Amino acid sequence: MNRTDGAVPTRPWIDSYGTSIPAELPPQAHRSLAHLVRTACRQHAGKTAFTCVVPNGMNGSLGFARVDAMSDAFAAFLHHHCGVRRGARVAVQLPNGLAYPVAAFGVFKAGAVLVNTNPLYTPTEMIHQFNDSGAEVLVICDMFADKLAEVIPQTGIRTVVLAGVPEFFPRIPEAIVRGVQKVWSRTLPPVPPLDIPVLRLRDALAKGRATGADPAEWWDGLRPDDLALLQYTGGTTGVAKGAMLSHANILSNLQQVLAMGRSHMTGNDCVLTALPLYHIFAFTANLMTFFEIGARNILVPSPRPVQNIQRAIENYPITWITGVNTLFNGLMNEEWFAAFPPKHLVAAIAGGTALHRSVATRWAVMTGTPIAEGYGLTESSPLVSFNPLSGAARPGSIGIPVPGTDVALVDADDAPVADGEPGELIVKGPQVMQGYWNRPEETAATVKGGWLYTGDVAVMEEGGFLRIVDRKKDMVLVSGFNVYPNEVEDCLAKIPEVLEAAVVGIPDGASGEAVRAYVVRNPDAPGELSREAIIAHCRTHLTGYKVPKSVIIRDELPKSPIGKILRKDLKAEVKAEFAGKT
Amino acid sequence: MLTELETTLLGVMMMIIMLGMGASMTPRDFLIAFRKPKGILVGLLSQFAVMPFLGFLLAVALGLPAPLVVGLILIACMPGGTTSNIFAYFSKGVLALSIMMTTVSTLVAVVMVPLLLSFYGGLAGVGAENRIPPENVAQILVVLLVPTILGMILRKFSPNVGATVELIGSFMGVVVILFLIASWVPRNYQLLLDTGLAIYFATIGIGLMGMLFGYWVARGLGQDTNRARTISLETGIQNGPLAVLVITLSFTGQQQQEVLLIPILYSLFIVLTSTAITLWYRRNATREALARDAAKVQPT
Repeated sequence: MNRTDGAVPTRPWIDSYGTSIPAELPPQAHRSLAHLVRTACRQHAGKTAFTCVVPNGMNGSLGFARVDAMSDAFAAFLHHHCGVRRGARVAVQLPNGLAYPVAAFGVFKAGAVLVNTNPLYTPTEMIHQFNDSGAEVLVICDMFADKLAEVIPQTGIRTVVLAGVPEFFPRIPEAIVRGVQKVWSRTLPPVPPLDIPVLRLRDALAKGRATGADPAEWWDGLRPDDLALLQYTGGTTGVAKGAMLSHANILSNLQQVLAMGRSHMTGNDCVLTALPLYHIFAFTANLMTFFEIGARNILVPSPRPVQNIQRAIENYPITWITGVNTLFNGLMNEEWFAAFPPKHLVAAIAGGTALHRSVATRWAVMTGTPIAEGYGLTESSPLVSFNPLSGAARPGSIGIPVPGTDVALVDADDAPVADGEPGELIVKGPQVMQGYWNRPEETAATVKGGWLYTGDVAVMEEGGFLRIVDRKKDMVLVSGFNVYPNEVEDCLAKIPEVLEAAVVGIPDGASGEAVRAYVVRNPDAPGELSREAIIAHCRTHLTGYKVPKSVIIRDELPKSPIGKILRKDLKAEVKAEFAGKT
Repeated sequence: MLTELETTLLGVMMMIIMLGMGASMTPRDFLIAFRKPKGILVGLLSQFAVMPFLGFLLAVALGLPAPLVVGLILIACMPGGTTSNIFAYFSKGVLALSIMMTTVSTLVAVVMVPLLLSFYGGLAGVGAENRIPPENVAQILVVLLVPTILGMILRKFSPNVGATVELIGSFMGVVVILFLIASWVPRNYQLLLDTGLAIYFATIGIGLMGMLFGYWVARGLGQDTNRARTISLETGIQNGPLAVLVITLSFTGQQQQEVLLIPILYSLFIVLTSTAITLWYRRNATREALARDAAKVQPT
């Protein structure tokens, strides 16, 4: 059977759902994200929705009712003062803080499309993303206003709105945080003169409020298939492209998150949001899902160094933490966390990159609560699979597909692989994106017949549990044998003197490709680290062709903003190194 | 000589400073700091063994007259100044350790300062007329613990108010030094002009030497670089205004002015030297923190 022919697949994982997970998704209650925001704000009007905590413990909060009113005002500002109409793109380039939900929800209420942008982007990356998306308005953190001089003249941005990290804090704490930023850490550059209107978020809201408009008229007519987000992803091929995520995509994924976790979530939850909201993981899981059920988001503007999270965890009854492997590991290596792990914690959700088994085990011992690992992509809003929270979780597995989702494992000819064999993971479901913005060819190569080709090689185990073997394109082909870098990296990570490792292929005259390992020494380990010892270790644990032929010891490895090790950067180095040599 | 009003004002400012110091921590910070008490003990050693000895050596080596010897030894025996916490904070040191050291050394000072004063005073041959009554020191210290505890409660109750009070306390730390200079220098400019290089050397040297020895004592006793930097600042930065308060409550007239010379000059110069050292430490700390963070993944 060819999966892409549209045959109805079976779902062997349904049996693993148990009693707490519904087999099918309930009918959609909301027509759009704006509708969801409005409903949640009305329903939880008296409660606190967001609290932003800076490293010294100073904080500000917004209740659901204020979030509603302020995002209404921002929508009115966008419509009346910026000429933003349905489907127009608005870029939001903010770290976690109270300004983020106001801006993002305001964009939805104006019927516009949110373009999430990493605040740490370079001017080159910003120009690409704003031009590619056709953004008309930019909401940017004032810490990065100096980049505007170079960026704005080269884009179609017509209005810039500035927001600070302590935005909407009480007056004195706001002044103190801004004072520290300005005088001590010198992270508040002057705003360069621009030919277009530049104003602060507070003033934008005042203008919006003054219009007296009701934004419902702009979002009421939104259909589920209308575009909600352009979520940029480097993806697999160099230049960043915008995944087109509709309101229905996000709303469905939110239901899928709830289907997996609702039995353990309540409206009194307090979720630690240390991952950036501009990333799809925290956007869907923290900002939308926990917001909808009336829980409180504790926003941390910058989780690096990890100590920045201390007051957020100490001063609030954190029940959930979403994170990536590096964050969990970092927390456990902090004295204040190890000594006083959060008392009210229910569970943690791991995603973004593989969760190391040792980290999961240590976390369970230290906090007495599980980390449930999930798997997803920007292109799937993001959640595809998740470990059940009720005891059936499997360590090292990315769990079972979430309700309403079909997955299949296929070979190079799109034919399903035999049971237990590795194949490329393909996904079909209501959370799968509409395509890449203005890139029909890349869309056609990624979404075929409704199936999203993830580029990840996985195996399916008993009960429908999936295990990621590796990225398809990261495979190293040594004399015709497939080497999965993850396997070699896991082997390297078992050496006590090795802190982190990454494996890529290098051109090799004899075998076509050979394995190269990049290794970071563990400063806390007593022993020395030598290339010979590393190779000897691998020889005892791996078949000959998998053993690294080249070992490079580094001080650090390239990482993404959320802490993923970037093999693609290492591959680029290899490419440059071997250019013209073969 | 400081007037009654000025002395009262100095006392009030000290109260505010201590309130701010208390507000910079929570009870949990204490518990965490006590998980590694070695740092605090090392700090105490450096504070009450190394520093007074350095003060004594300087006093003898420079052959200072008795009132100045008392002033120098008093400064050397003082507990950590609250400004050390600000410098520890800005140098990205271990704030909890700095606060602990300041607080614990202030507590221990009730016993240690009178003992050290009479020991080194006797060794340096200071006569009875220049002796500081031990009960004065003890009383002042006990009174200053009250706002400290109030500050801690405030920080626990409301981080926004606590952090604001902390900042006010920090500003007050600078204000009090300006106040001391403004109220002392105009009345003693002649004394300043007559003051030899040796005295300037002693006042600047005692702080810098404290920081240098504090760092290496801490490193030698197995403290990591971050904690050693904290202990270094804590050792070098003494509670100058407290020394002034003790002197104003113990001496009068011309004698008071003379004994005050070194503590006041010290209070002025320590701000400048600490700022320079802090900027340097901060750079080192930032680099180390980022490296440590990048390398946190610890496989087993």
